[in-house]
Amino acid sequence: MDSALLSHTKCRRSISSAALWFVVLLCFSAIASLAQQVHPTESQVKAAYLFNFGKFVQWPIDHGASGDSFELCVLGQDPFGPVLDATVAGESISARKIAVVRISKLSEAAPCNVLYISGSEGSRLGQILEAARHSGALTVSDIPHFVDHGGIIGFVKQQDRIRFEVNRGAAEDSHLTLSSELLKVAFRVVNKASAQE
Amino acid sequence: MTAQRTRSISTKLMMMNVLVSGAALILASIGFFIYDQITFRQGLVHTLSAQAQIIASNSVSALLFNDPQAAANTLSAFQNSPNISSAGIVTPSGITFAQYRKERGDEILSVPALPNDQIEGYRFGSTHVVFERKILSQGKLLGIVYIRADLREIDQRLWRYGLISLGVLLVSLLFAVAVSSRFRKSVAEPIVGLAETARVISRDKDYSVRVNASGEHDELSTLMNSFNEMLREIQNRDAELQKAHDELEQRVTERTRELVAANRELEAFSYSVSHDLRGPLDALNGYSYILLKNHSSKLDATGKESLQNIRAAARRMSDLIDDLLNLSRLSTSSMHREKVDLSVFARGIMEELCRNAPQRKVEFVAPPTAEGYGDARLLRIVLDNLLRNSWKYTAHHDEARIEFGQESSDGRVVYFVRDNGSGFDQRSANRLFQPFQRLHSTAEFPGNGIGLATVRRIIQRHGGEVWAEGEVEKGATFYFTLESLRDGSTQA
Repeated sequence: MDSALLSHTKCRRSISSAALWFVVLLCFSAIASLAQQVHPTESQVKAAYLFNFGKFVQWPIDHGASGDSFELCVLGQDPFGPVLDATVAGESISARKIAVVRISKLSEAAPCNVLYISGSEGSRLGQILEAARHSGALTVSDIPHFVDHGGIIGFVKQQDRIRFEVNRGAAEDSHLTLSSELLKVAFRVVNKASAQE
Repeated sequence: MTAQRTRSISTKLMMMNVLVSGAALILASIGFFIYDQITFRQGLVHTLSAQAQIIASNSVSALLFNDPQAAANTLSAFQNSPNISSAGIVTPSGITFAQYRKERGDEILSVPALPNDQIEGYRFGSTHVVFERKILSQGKLLGIVYIRADLREIDQRLWRYGLISLGVLLVSLLFAVAVSSRFRKSVAEPIVGLAETARVISRDKDYSVRVNASGEHDELSTLMNSFNEMLREIQNRDAELQKAHDELEQRVTERTRELVAANRELEAFSYSVSHDLRGPLDALNGYSYILLKNHSSKLDATGKESLQNIRAAARRMSDLIDDLLNLSRLSTSSMHREKVDLSVFARGIMEELCRNAPQRKVEFVAPPTAEGYGDARLLRIVLDNLLRNSWKYTAHHDEARIEFGQESSDGRVVYFVRDNGSGFDQRSANRLFQPFQRLHSTAEFPGNGIGLATVRRIIQRHGGEVWAEGEVEKGATFYFTLESLRDGSTQA
C-alpha cells in the first residue's frame, strides 16, 4: 500500500504528459498486481493450504518410508492444474522435497502424505476414506460436509474466504497428530470417529 | 559570642556531614538510576523480544491460513501486559493483518520494514518503544509482528527513585544532624570550652583555672592537657616570682628599718655630740669674754692677742657645730617642692655678698630667669654655698668673675656656677664633696669643709647629680641637675 502511495505521489509531480501517461499506466499495473496479490484465486489459496497443512500435521514415524519425498497426491480430476505445481515448487516439509502426484486409482494412494480427493470422487468417498485411514494419509477435500463423512480436513467457503473444517477423531483414527495451531485457525472442529456407513 | 562560636563550629561540622552524605547519596542515586534505566531498557527489550517471539510463532498458522481473527486472539493476550499500548501483525506487503489496542485512541503504526539480515529490531522514542519481529515459516517471511510498549513506567520509576532518594536524603540529613550533635559533644564543645577558658584567663588573669580534659585520648585531649600544663607552669612561675618579690620587699623593709634606726642613732649621736660640745664651748666663750672685759688690764699685748685667738677659734667651732647640726637636719627635714626661679636666688645672694664687702670688684653674670623644680629653702642653701665658695676662691683675683647659668645637655637642664678663681686639680674633684675634705688650708681660705657636702646632700635629695670641673689658678665650675618637673616624684 505504501509503495502504491509513493508511486502516486510521483505521478502527480510529473510534468511531461507522455511521462504522466506512462506513470499512470505503471500505477495501474502496480495496483493491479497488488490486487492480484491481495485476492489470489481460489485454486491458489487451496493449493497453498494443501501444502501448508503438511506443516501442522505429524505423521507416524513408519509412514512414508518408501521414499524421501513428501507426497502430495491429487485423486481424481485435478482442479488445480499448474497452480499446485507452481505453489510447491522448491518447497519442502520436514526437510523432504514435496512431490505432487496425480493418481486415479485408490491403490496408488498408499505412500501419500496428503490425499486431496477431488469432487469427482464423491460417489466412492466411503471407500476412499476407508483406504486412506489405513494408509495414514491426511485426507483433504472440497466435497461438502467432508468432515462429517469421516474426512479429516474439508474446505468450506465463507464470505468469499476459503476456510477449513477439521475432524479430530478421523485424524486420530489415521494416527495423525494435528497441531493446535491448525485447530486454532480451523473454521469448525468436529470430533467424530470415522463414519460407519 | 560564645553561643555564636558554638553555632559556627557545630554548624560547620553539620554542614560538612550533610554535604558529604548528600553529595554521596545524590551521586549514588544518579548512578543507580542510570544503571536502572539501562537494565530496565535491556529488560524491556528482552521481554518484548520474548513476547514478539511467542506472538510470531503463534501467528504462523493464522497467517498461512489467512485467519486474522485467530491472530487477533493471539494478540489479545497483551491485555495482561499493561505497558503494551498497541501491537499488530502486518503482512510483508504492508497490509495490517491483525491488531490490538489497549485503549481506543492508541496509535496504530505503520512499521518500517526490517533489513533483510535482521530478524528483530527496536526503536526507542520519547514515550514509547516499538519492537518488531519477522514472522518466518521455513525461512519464508509471512509477516511482521510489532509491539508498541509504553515508557511511562520509566517516568514512574524516575518518580519512585526521586521519592526514595528524597526520603533517604532526609533520613541521612537527620542522621547527619544527629551525628554532628554527637560530634559537637566530642569536638566542638571541648574547643569552645577551651576558648572560653582562655578568654576568662586572659580577662581575669586567673591562672588557677583548669580546662576539663575529655576522657578520650585524641589530639583535643592532648591540646587540653598541654594547655593545663602551661597554666600550671605559669602559676608556678608566678608563685616563685611572688615569693622572690615578697622576700625582696621584706629584705628592703628590714634594711630600711635598720638604716632608719642607724641613721636616727647617728643623728641622735651627732646632735648630742654637737649639743654636748656646745656646753664647754659656751663656757670657753663666756670665761674668755669675762677675762678680756674684766682682766684685760692685767694682760700684755701678746696675752690679749692669744685670748682673741681663743675666742675666734671658739666662734669657728660654734659655726662648725651649727653647720653640722644643719647638715644632719637637712637629711630629715621635710621637702616642699614647687617651681622656683634659681636666678632670683643667685642675684639676691650676690647682692648680699657685695653689700657686705663693698671694697671688692666682682663681675656677676646671671640669666633673667632659670626655672627649676624643688624645695625653695634647700635650693637657696645650695646656691648660697656654691656662690659663697666662688666669692671666697676669687678673693685673691683682681678681675673676679662669677657666673650662674643653665644649659641643656642630653635632654636635661644642667645648672652651673662658674668662677675664674684659684680652681683645683681635677684629679681631686671627687674629694670636694666629702665632709671635712679641703683642698686648701684654712689659712689660705677659711672654711670647714661642710658646704659642698651639704650641697651634695640636698641635690641627692632632689634626685639630681652634682659634679665639678676645675683647673688650678684658672677657675672652677660646679654643675648640678634637679629631677625634672615631668618625672618628679613625691620623694619626701
